[in-house]
Amino acid sequence: MFTRISDIDRLFGTMNLLQRKLDNLYDDYGKPSGYRWELDAAAPRTNLYEHGDNFEIRAEVPGLEKGDLNVKIQGNYLEISGERGTDAPQGYKTHKTERGVGSFSRSFTLPADVDSTKAEATLKNGVLYLTLPKHEAAKPKKISIN
Amino acid sequence: MDNAQKITKQGEKNVEKTRQLYKATPNVDIYENEDEILLHADMPGVVKENISVDIDNGTLTISGVRKLEIKGAATYEEFSDVEYVRSFSVPQTIDVERVEAELKNGVLNLHLPKSEAAKPRQIEIKTA
Repeated sequence: MFTRISDIDRLFGTMNLLQRKLDNLYDDYGKPSGYRWELDAAAPRTNLYEHGDNFEIRAEVPGLEKGDLNVKIQGNYLEISGERGTDAPQGYKTHKTERGVGSFSRSFTLPADVDSTKAEATLKNGVLYLTLPKHEAAKPKKISIN
Repeated sequence: MDNAQKITKQGEKNVEKTRQLYKATPNVDIYENEDEILLHADMPGVVKENISVDIDNGTLTISGVRKLEIKGAATYEEFSDVEYVRSFSVPQTIDVERVEAELKNGVLNLHLPKSEAAKPRQIEIKTA
């Protein structure tokens, strides 16, 4: 019936896929429909890029104002914390609240020390951009070849 | 035999494609009062130009594409370019002409006013 090993391999691949689907089926069970949960559990998603002398951190912080966020840096330790208030209007009935409310804190260990005096933070369209210049000692140095 | 062959050969038929934009469901809050339905959707990083809001035959579709410029090498990435898409069925009583949308700090706020005819009206009782 099966003429080649790759056919059998593919059959097992399909079975594994099904297994994974079934495993994930109950992950969302019993989750309190997003309220005070989403942001805490997955608070906030970040990307870390490295280019030349800088690290760049991006974090998803939809709906937060400048004043809602705190960024602390010490050596290679970075902490982003903040609080997301509710923007529920007065006198409205609520149908759905999936967007998390509450405070969050997330800390990172950066690959190298950064110069906290030159660090910059901007908030744009609900994304926090941190530009963190590396400390002198951690900067890449060009070695000239003799 | 024929059937089994067909299934297992399927993988070979798939042609290489360019990377599709990953789709995600934005988190939303929905509120309602007598005058309107209010919808807030989280779309961090999406700019105004890349958002579309369509109401067609009782279905509201919001879609926003996020394209962020990447500088340097990624050490790690937890989010990427994405298309936020979500559809809702809305009652026919929504006044489509007066729908307003605003984008602030990565949150799309959508005001869906109810048409005059659909608003509850207080009936005054007259004494005879």
